[in-house]
Amino acid sequence: MKEVDARGLSCPAPVLQTKAVLEETHLEEIKVIVDNAASQQNVERFLKSQGFETVLAEEGEDLTITGKGGSAPSEQQPTPAPEAEPGEQKIMVMCATDRIGFGDDDLGLKLMVNFIRTLKEMGPDLWRLVLVNNGVKLTIGGSEVLSDLQACEEGGLTILVCGTCLEHFNLLDQKQVGITTNMLDIVTAMQLADKVVSI
Amino acid sequence: MTFPKDENVLVGLDRADDAGVYRVSDDLALIQTVDFFTPIVDDPYWFGQIAAANALSDIYAMGGVPKTAMNLVAFPLKQMDIGILRQIIQGGIDKISEAGVVLIGGHSVEDSELKYGLSVTGFIHPDRILVKKNLQPGDVLILTKPLGTGVINTAIKGGLAPDTLIEQVTRLMATLNRSAAEAMSAHSVHACTDITGFGLLGHLAEMVLGSGCSMRVHASKVPVLPETLAYAGMGLVPAGAYNNKAFRASMVDFGASIDALMQDILFDPQTSGGLLISVAPDRAEALMADLIEKGVEQSAIIGDVTADSSEKIFVA
Repeated sequence: MKEVDARGLSCPAPVLQTKAVLEETHLEEIKVIVDNAASQQNVERFLKSQGFETVLAEEGEDLTITGKGGSAPSEQQPTPAPEAEPGEQKIMVMCATDRIGFGDDDLGLKLMVNFIRTLKEMGPDLWRLVLVNNGVKLTIGGSEVLSDLQACEEGGLTILVCGTCLEHFNLLDQKQVGITTNMLDIVTAMQLADKVVSI
Repeated sequence: MTFPKDENVLVGLDRADDAGVYRVSDDLALIQTVDFFTPIVDDPYWFGQIAAANALSDIYAMGGVPKTAMNLVAFPLKQMDIGILRQIIQGGIDKISEAGVVLIGGHSVEDSELKYGLSVTGFIHPDRILVKKNLQPGDVLILTKPLGTGVINTAIKGGLAPDTLIEQVTRLMATLNRSAAEAMSAHSVHACTDITGFGLLGHLAEMVLGSGCSMRVHASKVPVLPETLAYAGMGLVPAGAYNNKAFRASMVDFGASIDALMQDILFDPQTSGGLLISVAPDRAEALMADLIEKGVEQSAIIGDVTADSSEKIFVA
């Protein structure tokens, strides 16, 4: 493994030094040592843009970035997180509750479990699942549908979870699936969606 | 620290606004500001212009008209040819002349590192001072220059930016905020600041703090220089962007669709950036039309002000 010592250098020098080393020889593994957090983040970004998987570490005063499995340098521009193949339409499903309907709560809970499990039948048209108010309780440990939601997310569904709601129920650190978001983001998603289904 | 009080100081250090304002009479106040930095482009003449545009910007951001300027120079006389300094100062003079400002003095010292800037004095009516925090719920937020100069200057430092992009960003930094300020003066806007070292979100945070309002920013509406995203993805983000983000992260609520790259660009420190204007919604369209007509063509409505008293910035 090749080591690059970029201590004592400020941005963009550590990135440029790493870039120069990679242009000289094709490396499977590289370790870069820096002494400030900004350089560490920048070098990590650079290595990722070159196809490396990165591990960050602290060694005493030093900060290191280890990159593995780099591909040949490409001119490819960084792309946002991959999304699933787009469907014919964009359907946003918004759940403001952890149970469906009023009357019998036990029944409502069963229905919600069934609903979440059946949701994937929408296929690629299902674009966003937004969870607000009691709906955020579906994302925490002990939720009956947690593994189903996690499977949906792995399949490429973007699950947005209301940050204000998590905070209100004091569940911020218990959320195990989805991305924490804000109301503006939710409203923007509504605007972009072809259809919004509200539960 | 305690600051001396004087009833004629209308905007002072305690307010931390873009410039200080001192009342001379009931219908006249002086605006004073000073700004200087190390070179950000190789060409000395352009550096002089950018430094001057940057120094003048604080006067425009307060709603004033700049009148006089003085040079501030630190120059490594033993290592550098004096001709370089002449070109820098000529750039400064040409830029302030474009603004209708006269150079009436200055001071220079010998230093190991070259620095140049100006102190600028302007006029304003005491009732028409535009402070940062006078946000009104419902206001529309307009930004008059694209973001990305910090990232692109980092790419330039690294020798990675093509000449066409260097020229584009150099011209942008040397562009006065004068036309934007003139357009603004006809539309009784509520608040204004200029976007510089703290980045867009850092300066928005300064506006929001103590205003009793919150803001919503639509990242996709924020104008950004070409290639900025690509360079940021390569790790060419100036350390200042990370510092800005760490400093104000608690005031900003990013939506799930805003990735780390975009977050850094919204915190990217700007050199001689645009004005950020907070204007009533029924005036926004007319102001935008005026800005475009006066050649401030990259102006964009990027968000709005809400009555939410949490004093946060919501980005989606």
